[in-house]
Amino acid sequence: MKKITALFLAAAMTLGLAACGNSGTPAAPSSAPSQSQPAASSTTPDPAPAPAPENLSEVQKIIQQAEGMTLEELAQKAIEESNGKMFYGVGNSSRGKSALPLFIDYLKSIDSSYNMDFEWQQPKNNKIFDQLTADSLKDTGTFAMTLIQDGNQIESKMVQTGILDTFVPKEWAEANGVTADSYSGYLALQTLNKVFMYNNTGSKSYDNCWDFVAEGEHGLFMDIDSEIVGKNFLYMLTEDTYAGWLKDAFNALSADEQAYFQPTINAMKSEAEDLGLGADGAYALAWIKLWVESYNAQTDDGPICNTLVDKSATDQFGLLVYSKLRSVEESSSVSVNNINVAAYDDGYTGIGGYGYCHYLFVTDNSPLPWTACAFIAYMTETVDGFSAWGKDMGGYSSNPTVAEGTEAQFGHSKGGMAEDGTTVEFEAKNDRGYDWWTTEGQLVLEDPGYCASVSFTVGSWIEMLTKYAG
Amino acid sequence: MNPSTVRASQSAIWLNKVKTFFSKPHNVILLLMGIVLTFSTVAPIIAIIEDTFKIHPGTIDAHLTGQASGYTVVNYIDLFTSRLAKTNLWTPLLNTVLLAVGTCVVSILFGGIFAFLITRTNLAWRKYLSSIFIFPYIMPQWTLAVVWQNLFNSNAVTGTSNGLLAATLGVNMPLWWCKGLFPSLVVLGLHYAPFAYILIGGIFRNMDANLEEAATILDTPKWKIMCKITLPMVKPAILSTILLVFGSSMGSYPVPHYLGLTTLSTKYVSMNSKFTGEASILAIIMMIFGVAIMLLNQLSLTSRKSYTTVTGKSGQISKINLGKAGKYIIALILVVVTFFTSIFPIVSFAFETFLPNPGDYSFLYTGDTSNLTTKWWTTDENVSENGMYGQKGILHNETIWRAFRGTIWVSVCCALLAGTIGTLIGYAVSKNRRSKWANYVNSVAFLPYLMPSIAVGVAFFILFSNERINLFNTYTILILVGTIKYIPFASRSSLNSMLQLSGEIEEAAIIQDIPWIKRMTRIIIPIQKSSIISGYLLPFMTCLRELSLFMLLCVQGFILSTTLDYFDEMGLYAFSSGINLILIITILVCNALVNKVTGASLDKGIGG
Repeated sequence: MKKITALFLAAAMTLGLAACGNSGTPAAPSSAPSQSQPAASSTTPDPAPAPAPENLSEVQKIIQQAEGMTLEELAQKAIEESNGKMFYGVGNSSRGKSALPLFIDYLKSIDSSYNMDFEWQQPKNNKIFDQLTADSLKDTGTFAMTLIQDGNQIESKMVQTGILDTFVPKEWAEANGVTADSYSGYLALQTLNKVFMYNNTGSKSYDNCWDFVAEGEHGLFMDIDSEIVGKNFLYMLTEDTYAGWLKDAFNALSADEQAYFQPTINAMKSEAEDLGLGADGAYALAWIKLWVESYNAQTDDGPICNTLVDKSATDQFGLLVYSKLRSVEESSSVSVNNINVAAYDDGYTGIGGYGYCHYLFVTDNSPLPWTACAFIAYMTETVDGFSAWGKDMGGYSSNPTVAEGTEAQFGHSKGGMAEDGTTVEFEAKNDRGYDWWTTEGQLVLEDPGYCASVSFTVGSWIEMLTKYAG
Repeated sequence: MNPSTVRASQSAIWLNKVKTFFSKPHNVILLLMGIVLTFSTVAPIIAIIEDTFKIHPGTIDAHLTGQASGYTVVNYIDLFTSRLAKTNLWTPLLNTVLLAVGTCVVSILFGGIFAFLITRTNLAWRKYLSSIFIFPYIMPQWTLAVVWQNLFNSNAVTGTSNGLLAATLGVNMPLWWCKGLFPSLVVLGLHYAPFAYILIGGIFRNMDANLEEAATILDTPKWKIMCKITLPMVKPAILSTILLVFGSSMGSYPVPHYLGLTTLSTKYVSMNSKFTGEASILAIIMMIFGVAIMLLNQLSLTSRKSYTTVTGKSGQISKINLGKAGKYIIALILVVVTFFTSIFPIVSFAFETFLPNPGDYSFLYTGDTSNLTTKWWTTDENVSENGMYGQKGILHNETIWRAFRGTIWVSVCCALLAGTIGTLIGYAVSKNRRSKWANYVNSVAFLPYLMPSIAVGVAFFILFSNERINLFNTYTILILVGTIKYIPFASRSSLNSMLQLSGEIEEAAIIQDIPWIKRMTRIIIPIQKSSIISGYLLPFMTCLRELSLFMLLCVQGFILSTTLDYFDEMGLYAFSSGINLILIITILVCNALVNKVTGASLDKGIGG
C-alpha cells in the first residue's frame, strides 16, 4: 500500500516536471582501495586515474606546474595573479580566517606593494558540500580553495565528481619522503583527535574502551547526524585493524564483563557476515550498536566540555575534540583537573578516540588557482602558516617538519605544566602528540576510501539502530 | 433624419476596456503583484519538487540507481517503503504534527486567557503585563529553549552538568520535562502566545458585551455563556492564531533541535547529507501542510463572516470585577509567570555573560566574586588560553558587529519591501474584493507565511544555486526570501485597515482629480498609519531574530541569528546571551522610537 502511495505521489509530482530527463550517466565507483600514507597523514583513497594531459582542466594544468615549484616561486605567481583582488575561501574550520592575514603578510614581505582582500566562509549543517557543488556549476567559481573535513563525502561528492582537485606542495612532499606524482591521497592540513575523557570527581574509572558501552553508560557525543565525521568513526571501527583492536580490548576484560557483552557480540556475527566484514567484524558491530543505543547526543563538543569539567558531572564521560580543554577557565566548580583523558590512564586498554583530517583542495574552477596553491603550500610548509591551528593542542600538522617546529614553538607536550616547567598542573593538557596517539593511544584514523565503501552497507545498518533518546 | 447609432468596433471596445483597467492603479498593482508573487512562490516549489527526482552524487539515490546524475523516483519509494521509513518519515511527521497542535493549544490557552484577563477584567497592572507579555516573541525562539536547558537539566536525569535548579536547590526534573515534546511545545507555545494575545485580545477589546449581559440577565450559567457566546465570538481570532502558529511551529528547527525532539525540520537537516532527495520530500510534505491550512482557512472564511457583525466597536464593554483582592492576586500570579517567561531569560542572559565558563554557576553558591568575569565583553585580543575559544570579547568582536550590521541591513530592507508591497496588495485587494484575481493575489501573497520557514529556505536555496545564478550567502537572497515570507504581515494588516475605510474618502479626492500617489500619501496612509506601520514593524522585528528561514541560505557570522545559533551550538552561552541582549535592546529601542513618532506599537495598546 505504502509503495503504491509512494508511486502515486511520485507520478503526480512527475506531471509537474516538464524538463525531467534521464541522462543515465553511470555513477563513479563508490569505493577505492586505501593506500598507506606519509607519516603524519591518515590514509586516503586512490584518486581516479589521472586524466591524460590534453584532458586536464585549466586549474589542473596549473596545479601540475605548481607541484614542481617551491613556496617562494608560488608566492611570486600568487602576487602576479591576485594583487588587489578578492580571495574567497570556504572551510569547516573558522581558522582559515586567521591564516589568510598571515599569508598576505608573507606575500607582502616579498612585495611590499601587494595587497589582497579576502573572505572566509564557514557554512554549517553540511552546507559546504552544497555550496561547493553549486559554485562548481559556474565557469569561473567564487571560491579559490577549500579546507574541508569528512573524507567520505569528499570522496563521493567532491572528488569523484571532479569538483575539487588535490594539489601536493613540493616541499610538503619532500618532508614526507614522497613526490607529487607518487603521492596518491588527499592533502591533509592536519589531523584532529577526539578522545574519551571522563569526569574524575567520583569513584568510577574507565580502563577499557568497552567500559564506555557498558550497562547504564551514556557518553556525551556530538550527534552522528550533525557531525558526519562521527559516523565515519563508527564506519572505521569495522575495518579489520580497528575491529581487531576492539577484540583485543574485549579479551582484556574480566570474565564477568565479557559475559555481559558476549551475547551482543554473538548476535552480531551473522550481521557482520551479511555486511561482508572481516573476522572480528562482530566485535565492531557490537560496540557500535551499544554506543549508538546509549550515547547522549549533544549539539557540539563545546557543551560536552563545559559539562565534563564541572564537578557536578560526576562519573560522566564523553568523546570530544581534545583541543576543547584549552579554553577551560578554572573556577570553584570548574577545572581541567576534574577530568581524565582515558587513554593517558595507566592500564587503559583499547581505542583512545578517533582522528579525522582537515583536507585542502583547489576548486576545479578556481578564480585564483596560483594564489590558492601558494596559500595551501604556506599552510602546510611553514610553522607560521600552520600557527592558526598549531597554537592549540590536539591538531597535528601533516608535515613532519612543521609538526616539529610547532611543538618547538608552542610546547603542547608540556601544555599542562606549571610555569616552572616541572610541576604538573593539568595532566590532561600535556598532549602526547600524534605519534603517541596513533600507536599507544590507539587512535582510530579516518580513511575516506573505506568510509565511502561501507557508507551504504554499514552506514545503512547503523541508521537502523535506535538511538538513545535521553 | 433618423438618428444614426455610432457603433465602435470590437477592438476599440477591448482597447478601451484595457485602458480603463490600467487607468486604475489598484488594477496595475494587482496584475504586477500577481505575476511577481506567482513566480516567487511557485518557482521555488517547482525547484524543490525537481530536486526530489534528481540523482545527487554520493547519496542514497545515486547508490540505489547506480547512476551519478539524471532523474528517478527512487527517493519516493525509499522514503515511503524502506526499513527506515518509520525513522525518517513517520515518527518525525507524527512528532511535527503533535508539536504544531500542542503549540497552538498552549499559545491559544496562555495568550487567550491572558488577553481575557487584560481586556475584560479590572486586573491590576494591565499596562505593564501587556507590554511584558510580548517579550518571548521578541526573543529568538530557541533562546527560551536554551534557558529551559540551563534551568532544568541535571546530571542525574539528563546526564549533563547541573542546571540552575539542580545546582542551587538540588531539584532534578523528570526527563519528559527536560527533553522532547513537552518542553518543545511549551517553549514554542510561549513564543507564539503573543500572537494569540494580540488577535484574541483585539476581539475581546472591541466586542459587544450586550450579548453576554443579556445571557446573564436570563440567568444563564457562566460556563454556558463562555461556551455559547464568548468563545464563538473569539473563534475567528482562534482560527487566525492557528493559521499563524501551526505553520510556524511546524517549520521550527532550533527549538526541537535543542530540546531533543525529532521533527521533519530536524530530520531534513540530518538527512540532507546522505538522503538529499528524500530530505527535499520532507520539505514538500511540510509545504503541503501549509497549503492545506490555507485551503482550510479559505473554507472557514464563509463562517467567519457571520461574526464580523459582533466584532465591530460597541462602546459598551463591561469589565468583570475580580474583586479588591482578586485583581491583585491574579495580577501577581501573572507577574510571576511573565517574570519566568520574559524577565528571567533576560536576567539569565545578562548573568551568563559574567560567568567564567559557560553554565558555571559557582558564584551563586560560593558568593565569591572571583567567580565572575567581564572577559566575555572586554577581551580585545584573540586568545584561547583565557577560555575565549579564540574569540574576542563581545564589544571588540568584529564577527558579532559585522553580523549585527548585516542583520540590520536585511531587516530594514525586508521591512521596507515587505511593508510597501504588502500595503499595496492590501490596498489593491480591498478595492477589488469580489475579483477572483484579487483573491488569488491575496492568497498567493499569504502562502509563503503558511509554509514552514525551513522548507521555504530550502526551496530558495535550490532555486538560486545553479550555473546561471548563485545567490548563496548574499544579502540579496536573504532580503528576497525575507520579503516574500513577511509580505503577509503587511498585506493582512493593510487589508484589514483598508476594508475599514469607506470608498467615499478616496472617491472625493478622485473627483477633485488628485493623483493616486497624493491620495495614498495624503489621505489613505495617514488615516491608517498605525496598522500600516505595524506592517513594517512586524517584518523588521521578525527578521531580526529569524533563523529557520535563513540558516540554509548563509554561513554563520553573516547575520546575527546564525551567529547566535553558532555560539549556542558551540556552548559559548556568554556570546549567545550577549547577542540576545543586543537583539532585545535593538527591538525595544526601535519599538519605542516608532511608538513615540507614530503612536504605533507591537502590542498596539491592547492592555492600555
